[in-house]
Amino acid sequence: MSSSLLRPILVRAASLGAVLIIVLVLLVLTLGATGYSDNILQAQVGEELRGMRTSLSETVKDPDAVEEIIAARRAELEASYGLDRAWYERLPAVVAQVLVFDLGEARSIRAADGSNSVADIILERLPRTVMLLTTSLLITAFIGLTVGVWLSTRPGSRADRVVSYVAAITNGLPAWWAGILLILVFSFWLRILPSGGMYSTPPPEGPVASFLDLARHALLPILTLVLVSIGPSIYVIRTMTLNVALSDHVTVARAKGLPEGLIRRRHILRVAAPPIVTGLILGLAATLGGSILIETVFAWEGMGQLYFKTFSGQPDESIIIGLTFMFTLIYVAARLLLEVLYVFLDPRVRYQ
Amino acid sequence: MKRRSLWRAVLASTAGKVGVTLMLVLLGTSLLVLLTFPLDFGPARWSNPAVWADYPKAVPPAWTALLGADVVEHQVLESSEPSETTERGEGRVEVYDLDFDHAADAAPTFLSFSLGPVTFIERPPALSVTLLRPDGMSVPLLRTTIRGPRPAEEPPYLRHDQTPLRVLLTSESEVAQATADALNEAYDLDLTASDVAADPTAALFGAPGPDGTLAPLHGQYTAQVRVALASPEDSIDWVRFVVGGTVFGLLGTDASGRDLAQGLAFGLPVALLIGIAAATVSTVIGTSLGMLSGYRGGRVDLLIQRAADVVNNVPLLPLLIFFVFVFGAQLWLILLLLVAFSWPGLTILVRSMVLGLSGSQEVEAARAMGASGRQILVRHIFPHTAPYVFTQLIFFVPAVILAEAGLSFLGLGDPSLPTWGQILEDGFRTGAVFLGYWWWVVSPGLLIVLTAMTFMLLALAMEPVVNPRLRRD
Repeated sequence: MSSSLLRPILVRAASLGAVLIIVLVLLVLTLGATGYSDNILQAQVGEELRGMRTSLSETVKDPDAVEEIIAARRAELEASYGLDRAWYERLPAVVAQVLVFDLGEARSIRAADGSNSVADIILERLPRTVMLLTTSLLITAFIGLTVGVWLSTRPGSRADRVVSYVAAITNGLPAWWAGILLILVFSFWLRILPSGGMYSTPPPEGPVASFLDLARHALLPILTLVLVSIGPSIYVIRTMTLNVALSDHVTVARAKGLPEGLIRRRHILRVAAPPIVTGLILGLAATLGGSILIETVFAWEGMGQLYFKTFSGQPDESIIIGLTFMFTLIYVAARLLLEVLYVFLDPRVRYQ
Repeated sequence: MKRRSLWRAVLASTAGKVGVTLMLVLLGTSLLVLLTFPLDFGPARWSNPAVWADYPKAVPPAWTALLGADVVEHQVLESSEPSETTERGEGRVEVYDLDFDHAADAAPTFLSFSLGPVTFIERPPALSVTLLRPDGMSVPLLRTTIRGPRPAEEPPYLRHDQTPLRVLLTSESEVAQATADALNEAYDLDLTASDVAADPTAALFGAPGPDGTLAPLHGQYTAQVRVALASPEDSIDWVRFVVGGTVFGLLGTDASGRDLAQGLAFGLPVALLIGIAAATVSTVIGTSLGMLSGYRGGRVDLLIQRAADVVNNVPLLPLLIFFVFVFGAQLWLILLLLVAFSWPGLTILVRSMVLGLSGSQEVEAARAMGASGRQILVRHIFPHTAPYVFTQLIFFVPAVILAEAGLSFLGLGDPSLPTWGQILEDGFRTGAVFLGYWWWVVSPGLLIVLTAMTFMLLALAMEPVVNPRLRRD
């Protein structure tokens, strides 16, 4: 790659880095200015003091002494949580730490091994989400590409019409509801697949049996995701490819008498590749964030559920900030990867 | 593209015909709902357990009977005219005979008795309810007296004028005892009250079969209500006896007895309003920004496109969840956020259309004649983008409806308005899927899909008109 290409990419990298900073600043502003951050921390301090008060009242009889100890402890806790400082002094420090990949510690949520480090919690859940969502996306993309490209050679055929209607219908089909229907059919009526969760109770012994059990539990959510997204996926790829197939240079290629296979590979797919790769890479990056709804329906403890749990249960600021940072970072990295890939995929892209 | 030809093209395709038909049905139904339902349906009826007390809990729709299921129909027997009156002393005894047939092998889910406004002068009326069975057996179900005068209260005394007196007969231990006694005496059995209490209606509507266990007893039953009124002026307005069915209505009921058909019917105008309102505002914003961006160019263009690029890639649901938890679940807020994060797609597309149109001869001519920038945008550029923008608006409605449903499904819907997503959430959270209450989760989802599909079909029918490259023959 020549230096004439390197410089613009570095400029892009810098602007994407700016996006990351802006997102974090916006997050800090929303958490801080609304008083949400203070509320979360106050609730945690309150919780700890309540527990302390009950245990103290058993040993210390004098109520004034209890109050005194509590007040001292409150000041101590508020200082350690940073509540004695305003949010605009406290939160930037947290964000600065996150930027050097120190994600801090969670207060209420823990990983399976008991670790309360946010990084451990995220790393525990990431593979589960990959297993569910990334797998489904790869299956969908594979079928979508094969069938979509095939359909683009027969526009207006019966198969083409069927696919466009299926795509229209599944576009309006909420995946979470489809998941509920599949649970009803496969789990309640046919009783052949588990309705949710990740492992059976009791969990099977040994890594192989354990993985098979996990895969069995993943089957229904993956089926749901693939069923719901397959129609639109085929349709989008078909339309993108068809748009290229109808353009003039393809007609010229045909007029020159080039073999159909060559035309498809060199004149159609090569041109249609950049937008398809863009969709695929951004889609893959998005799967790492998990799916809140699907993970909720199938009680799958992945990234989506983690995000939802940080809000719905006891809100946990370090996880909120850590997840937002991670999601944005993944997106930014994917965009950067695309910028580099475009150079190879699309000869027209020559940064000057 | 003229408006009329767009319309004609839509009606020419199958998708368009189906879409328009469904649309008319949806609009007609929501108009009907808006005219017949109270606007405070949510808090006043849907979330008010008292309204649904006399409905069977978690039973499937009535039409499941057509599939061969053995069902007990839900029957509400009400009377305000006594079938028989006998004078007694100064007062009288009124007898209300409420007859009903029981032909199913299943037993009713519950029996309840209620009565409306009672007036008395001197002594409070006494009443009894007895179930007369086809085998001649009679089971006393209730014996009670209306509450007497309070100190310093002046006659005539009015009772149960605000809330009717209501007794859920099948959960009373006296009823279980009375049923056991009556069956023991008539059939020489050895039942205890707790045997009956396990399934009171099976005993009330059963008799020992050839094998000695209780079998369903078919025939005509009568709930006989006797009211003893002490003075001629005393009166009782109405009595009601409810035989809880094992099926109910068009769409069944949920676990608190709510008629799903009513909740889902009310959800239709709500869904349409949410979808159309948010889609319209978002389309207006998206189009204006797109036109501005495309026509102005320069720094404005760059700024809008960068913003669109960022907002376009923000995952909507996590963001909605974030804001709902920070600011609370209010519908206007949810809609505002949906609007705030959904304009970029249209902005990018409108901009590219405007860029193409700006160089057209029409715009050049208008400019040469001295038209102002605004005039050119409104008169010479917007009309060309209009059908496309309109199609996008229609595409956007289901997206809003689905987003709201998803949010409600997570339990973050506005609690003052029952929506389809909330009904689904109710069902899923209380385990309807695992208990097999399919009617509770299938029908709201089907309605969401049907509504979304209607708009999709309309947009699909419009697309070839708007984008001639997609036109097929």
